[in-house]
Amino acid sequence: MKAKFGSQPWFQENLHTGCISTKDALKFSLIYPLENLLECKSSMGSFRIRLTYTHTKASKGDEKCSDSAETCKRRKIGMSKFITVPMCYEGERPFSNSLENNSSDCCEFLLEKANEPCHFTFFCYRTPFYFGGRYLKYSRNVSQTCWIIDDERMGEASVEEIIGGNILQACQGDSFKFHAAGREDIDVRMLGPGRPFLVEVQNARHIPSELFVKDVEKSINNMKNKLVRVKNLKLVGSEGWDLMREGEAEKQKQYAALVWISRPLKDEDFQCISSHKDLKVLQRTPIRVLHRRSPLEREKIIHWMKVEAIAGSSQYFLLHLCTQAGTYIKEFVHGDLGRTHPSIGSILGCRAEILQLDVTDIKMECFLA
Amino acid sequence: MSTINKDQIINESNCSETKLLDETEQEEEEEEDLQKLLVPDVQNLPLTPPSAVESNFATFFALDFMKPAHDQYVYRHANGYNIHCFEDEGGITAVDFNVGKSDRSEMKVTGKRKKNAQHFESNTALCKISTQNDTYIVRCCVKGSLLEVNQQLIKQPELLNVSADREGYIAIIMPKPADWLKIKASLVSLQEYKKLREVS
Repeated sequence: MKAKFGSQPWFQENLHTGCISTKDALKFSLIYPLENLLECKSSMGSFRIRLTYTHTKASKGDEKCSDSAETCKRRKIGMSKFITVPMCYEGERPFSNSLENNSSDCCEFLLEKANEPCHFTFFCYRTPFYFGGRYLKYSRNVSQTCWIIDDERMGEASVEEIIGGNILQACQGDSFKFHAAGREDIDVRMLGPGRPFLVEVQNARHIPSELFVKDVEKSINNMKNKLVRVKNLKLVGSEGWDLMREGEAEKQKQYAALVWISRPLKDEDFQCISSHKDLKVLQRTPIRVLHRRSPLEREKIIHWMKVEAIAGSSQYFLLHLCTQAGTYIKEFVHGDLGRTHPSIGSILGCRAEILQLDVTDIKMECFLA
Repeated sequence: MSTINKDQIINESNCSETKLLDETEQEEEEEEDLQKLLVPDVQNLPLTPPSAVESNFATFFALDFMKPAHDQYVYRHANGYNIHCFEDEGGITAVDFNVGKSDRSEMKVTGKRKKNAQHFESNTALCKISTQNDTYIVRCCVKGSLLEVNQQLIKQPELLNVSADREGYIAIIMPKPADWLKIKASLVSLQEYKKLREVS
């Protein structure tokens, strides 16, 4: 190895560790011939070739593997060792620099003479692409994710399928995963600047350019039924994840609710509601979600509230409010049989019901432009 | 040279001004659009909308169960949880969840799987209710596991007099699907209940 690669800088780097793994040795010896054969360079890129070598007798050697910090987490891989080689064609936009690092065995084990050749397979794939942006939902009959109960779909469509499906088709990928920063009920509209989301595309065949991404955004927004709208769609790297997860518990959300009360609105009510700043609310798990959440009492904060009168009605009004992430708004209005306290009903001293809810802002920094 | 530069500077500042104007105009437009979406059409609003309970639960009545003339009813949610409620003639002074074997208000159910929920038969006692003249026991009329009792009733028993159908609920119980189907046959819907109560 030394003779062949002594002049290469990356070899010298590894040399100081004293030993080199079989995996790396194999990789180094293969890279140049592969580069020549495929007429491209092996460096950064999203295209990966996975070479898998399996041998029936390989497991014996690994048992002698010494336990060091990173290695031997998966003892069973004795059957096959694989190395992954990133390849990129000239002119392709380099993406991530990471080489796939399956647990390398930095160990010394006895060399046994193998009598049979190993079995070799290769597998090509592309690392996933990430699209970030914000979505708006104009329909009260569209769920965020595909929702099917007993073979029947709830709602007429899902945000996930509309956005993810369009992106997947445009990229000619194998599959996609949809992630959003929080969610809203099927009958709640998402308005204002929209909710941040991330779509992960596996094995895209068509690498998107900036113009292409804009086209995808346009085609989603020009769909006939105008159920969902996308803003600021763009290709993001792995920082997209961090942007979405940032400050999740502190995220504030803003809503507009159509509220009915059992008595006419009084002048004092406006002031009364507005005067509550950072109101602490104790919410027991709402009955409608008891089947999938723990029965707990959660303290949430309502940062501010504002009553907007509706012309022509004395018992209906628009309630604008800004709350801590995780607050159940519907239950805050009607009180959930007294299990959310205080509630709009208890504050105004009457019965209150909520007819409609809209999310008007998600106060997060990501994907705003 | 200097005059050209000045013009350039003026032009640039004009450009950024108009850009700012455009942006604020756009923001205002978006605000207006949002407002239009939010404000409802007053003509279409019902005078009295259905309550959250009416929209999300189906009501079933247990008539003359164990003791005649005390109505028990159950709000059943689509997710299988039942809210048990109880109506009386009024005048309830105290509610006690300690029914001999254990205090129902003491038990704690934890986790998504609802561990430690007690299993009840349909004649298991839920609580003791005291009025001025009388004390009697309210029983769970549906077989299932007890999730929680309404602890507010201990401190505020008058809730049973004033809003038995809302804040004065007794307990939340989750029956197994098979058990519910069995008992459902003997329960009565709101319409039938109204008919029967008017007659008798």
